[in-house]
Amino acid sequence: MKISAFKKSYEGKWVLDFPGFELKDGNICAVIGSNGSGKSTIAKVLAGIVKADNRRLPVPNDISVGYMPQKSFAFRLSTISNIRLSGGSEEEALVLMKRLQIDHLARKRAKKMSGGETARMALARLLIRPYDLLILDEPTASMDIESTALTEEVVSEYCRNTGCTVLWVTHSLQQARRVAQQAIFMRNGCLCEAGEAEKLLFNPDKTETREFLEFYGI
Amino acid sequence: MQTAVERAFQLIVTGNAELVNILLVTARMSLCSSVIALIIGVPLGLLLGSARFKGRGVLLVINRTLMGMPPVVCGLLFYMLFSGVGPFGRFKLLFTVQLMVLAQVVLITPLVIGNMETYVSDISQTVRENARGLGLGRFKRFLLLANESVYQIFSAYLLAFARAIAEVGAVSMVGGAIAWKTNVMTTAIMQYTNRGDFSLGIALGIILLSVSLIVNVVISLLQRRLSR
Repeated sequence: MKISAFKKSYEGKWVLDFPGFELKDGNICAVIGSNGSGKSTIAKVLAGIVKADNRRLPVPNDISVGYMPQKSFAFRLSTISNIRLSGGSEEEALVLMKRLQIDHLARKRAKKMSGGETARMALARLLIRPYDLLILDEPTASMDIESTALTEEVVSEYCRNTGCTVLWVTHSLQQARRVAQQAIFMRNGCLCEAGEAEKLLFNPDKTETREFLEFYGI
Repeated sequence: MQTAVERAFQLIVTGNAELVNILLVTARMSLCSSVIALIIGVPLGLLLGSARFKGRGVLLVINRTLMGMPPVVCGLLFYMLFSGVGPFGRFKLLFTVQLMVLAQVVLITPLVIGNMETYVSDISQTVRENARGLGLGRFKRFLLLANESVYQIFSAYLLAFARAIAEVGAVSMVGGAIAWKTNVMTTAIMQYTNRGDFSLGIALGIILLSVSLIVNVVISLLQRRLSR
């Protein structure tokens, strides 16, 4: 899946220059980098939430894209109704909820859930239907270690079963190493290095990437 | 003074015919104007709060200006438009409840719009991002936003109703405070007080305050619910 090159500025101020990248189908690609490096902007542009400067969507028009924003939100509905918003049967929703260990909350008001539960519900809401490209913006930011491990497992499983390609924005290099087959390192709004996760996260070519990994103790 | 208060309670308890008529006219006017303001104001508030388009800033400034429009100015405007020599004089609406409703709609719709816009601006981006991320269409996103705002809609309605029931400037100018026809609680209080007949004024004042108290208690309960 080819992501075309794009630029993004806000009110005339340039924030992102993405040269394009080829995502391998069915792979998870981790997007890493410091705060303000443009990771979330990439996610938002690809999901069509904000428009690139050339007003074009950088992904092919005929693919379905699912997006989980950094701030998970529970709509004023029951948990199961939230999960079924984009489709899927009640049985499918319950199976998914059980897998993400939130099945006991099915009939409860979704607004009453904790941050971690809301994030798992938001993930279930996406995984109930197949997508060609799934964009997750720090999906485990509000989760504990156990839920994080479960989420990584469930998303990897979803990828294998549906052949969906995932773009996973994360702050955790350990997480990137656990889940990703490809990786992109962003720095100051530019793509610094991209390629196989194994190479980029263990033996990068660029000095900046190496410094970043060293700074985070890897 | 004590006698006037005692008489006021007596009028309420015995259901004095004039008092009941004033209450009915007030209820008819306030309910009609607040419901119409809600029907117009809620979709506009949702739109202004959630959509980003050219001219939105200008519309917000206009709405905020209208929110602060003095009721007497509104009354004067409608009086001129609907008086015998005005452009709409042929409709013969001056000194009718219908025109009082119309004037109040102009006064309170901006309040509903402003109230909704402020609330929706806060939540719309999160709602939009989450709903768009699921691939939901524009209409479904709008419904979800309205569903998120349901308590705010009630709150905006109660505010509009409270403003309508307590308003005096515009309704006295366009309604003329005609007994048994267009006299509402606020205009009647002024009229009877001017005449030196305090008891009916006090009775109406007690009812008006009670309504205001009830509305404010309901608004606080809704706001507590919203903040949870």
